[in-house]
Amino acid sequence: MSAGVRKLGWSLLAWALVLLVATPLLWMLSTSFKPENEVFAVPVTLLPEEWTVEYYVLLLTETSFPRYFANSAIVATLTTLVVIALGTLGAYSLVRFRYRGREAIASAVLLSYLLPSVVLIVPLYLMMVKLGLANSLASLVIAYTSFALPYALWLLRSFMAAVPEDLESAAMIDGATRMGAFLDVTLPQALPGIISTALFTFILAWNEYLLALVLVNADEVRPLTTGVMTMLVSGFNIEWSLLMAASVMMSVPLIVILAFLQSYLVRGFGAGAMKG
Amino acid sequence: MSAIDLVGVRKQFGETQVVRGVDLAVPSGAFLSLLGPSGCGKTTLLRMLAGLETPSEGEIRIDGAVVNAVPPGARDIAMVFQSYALYPQMTVAQNIAYPLRKRGVPKGERAGRVAAVAEMLQLGPLLERKPRQLSGGQQQRVALGRALVREPRIFLLDEPLSNLDATLRSHMRAELIELHRRIGRTMVYVTHDQLEAMTMSTHIAVIDGGVVQQFGTPQQVYRRPVNRMVAGFIGTPAMAFVEGRVGEGGALTLAGTRVATVDAAPGATPVIGIRAEDVRLAEIGVPARVGLVEPIGHETLVRLHCDAGIVTARLPGDTAVQPGEQVHFTADAGRLHLFDPIGGERLTDPYQGNERDHG
Repeated sequence: MSAGVRKLGWSLLAWALVLLVATPLLWMLSTSFKPENEVFAVPVTLLPEEWTVEYYVLLLTETSFPRYFANSAIVATLTTLVVIALGTLGAYSLVRFRYRGREAIASAVLLSYLLPSVVLIVPLYLMMVKLGLANSLASLVIAYTSFALPYALWLLRSFMAAVPEDLESAAMIDGATRMGAFLDVTLPQALPGIISTALFTFILAWNEYLLALVLVNADEVRPLTTGVMTMLVSGFNIEWSLLMAASVMMSVPLIVILAFLQSYLVRGFGAGAMKG
Repeated sequence: MSAIDLVGVRKQFGETQVVRGVDLAVPSGAFLSLLGPSGCGKTTLLRMLAGLETPSEGEIRIDGAVVNAVPPGARDIAMVFQSYALYPQMTVAQNIAYPLRKRGVPKGERAGRVAAVAEMLQLGPLLERKPRQLSGGQQQRVALGRALVREPRIFLLDEPLSNLDATLRSHMRAELIELHRRIGRTMVYVTHDQLEAMTMSTHIAVIDGGVVQQFGTPQQVYRRPVNRMVAGFIGTPAMAFVEGRVGEGGALTLAGTRVATVDAAPGATPVIGIRAEDVRLAEIGVPARVGLVEPIGHETLVRLHCDAGIVTARLPGDTAVQPGEQVHFTADAGRLHLFDPIGGERLTDPYQGNERDHG
């Protein structure tokens, strides 16, 4: 009896937490389908009384939203590719090769991650101007890479370290080059780690606001975060339904990617545990 | 012609000297065991043979050609790792085929050779499994298969049996001996288990402190160890070392009892090494008190405490002695090993003359 009560208590607590986290998201979803006159209507309606997709249509046809969306997709994808390419090779080097200053490099990487991004914004901006990259997607890719790479290196380093060196030695004796051994043996083993690192990087690049605000102020190169804000929060009039529709569409790619890769992640992590 | 020559090979990692000048000539077709305690440098030596480490100094030759700068894949060697190092994401068949794939063997031929190896090692039913679905012994056989499939000149084995249970280990030991007999290739086997080295090898190199202490056949190493380290490392139970004393006329005494006549100056105090199987109980001999008695069945190990130290005796299984009993023991003068009390090197040859030539 008391065990049942305790179980019930935990369930209620868990559901309360879930509700706390999910309510704003559900509210956002609901609001995005409400016509304008219903958004602030009292009594409040949980679900729209009258469903409408007019804001989605408006967003896609009448605003720069598609442009921002494309910019964000390009920047996040490129950043992820660059970070993973540099991160896997860099982490591999930190794990496998003995050279002078290896530990110093590893520590320096961590230290740079600990710096608050705010202190780097102005120097980064000045650098981009000097490089002639201000107001370009490239400046965002470079800036996001510099922020994501240290963390990615540390994540990947531990995943690489978990791959037994014997496997690579065996592959090299079996006739593979070092690069071949890396691709044939190490990479497949480190794949779950690489995927979670990629996921982390993509989310970071997709959601980043502060750097985008400073580095980019032309409409053609704005990503979603700053773009949607400037588009809809200008002046005194906030178009809530439109904003909510934009928010929903901003969230969709992340949700899709997460759903797809999560199953992959679970498969990857569970692989070693199966015994047939 | 020797299959492998090591000439003045040294290896250091930073300040640490791991291998300090190894010279070895391994005859073609030999089964050489590199035998030594852990940390003696034997695995580093093997990894240098494989090309996974580069010697800091010296030359490694395979079939006469210097291979110091030849990458592992081009040395025509195969290696079995202590951890087996099977590629986890590949099936057994893919694992065995990998060395062939990397060498551009056509697909059709690959399948045939994998099948042949699988047949030889009884891996047929397991070919489509992943390594994690295999038992330790099966993984071991897959690792062997991956080494065999290429028919390399030299096989390197790094403690391949140490992760198996005792029964499987003795079974695999027999299989490896049989395998070596059948394919006749040169094998270099790293182990810290002197029993493995004694039973499987045609040659043993006892290694300690990064140098080869002794190189020879198992019999030579067992019967004529060149120093105390080798003598103590080879044989179970370990050889007993007691203090001897040389008197007038070269009379060697052990705890006051004369045991042999040696060619040494009076007053010398050599260390006498005695193997357990050379000790007998007798009416007259070195007086001793019986300590620990370990009956094994077919034989009984008895520790004998005499004034010069403790000697272990391997006695028949029906020997009836009780701890605390006073007995006398003796050993053939020709079977005693004498070592320098300071440096530990061998002083005399217990088999005077007739065996000397083999050492």
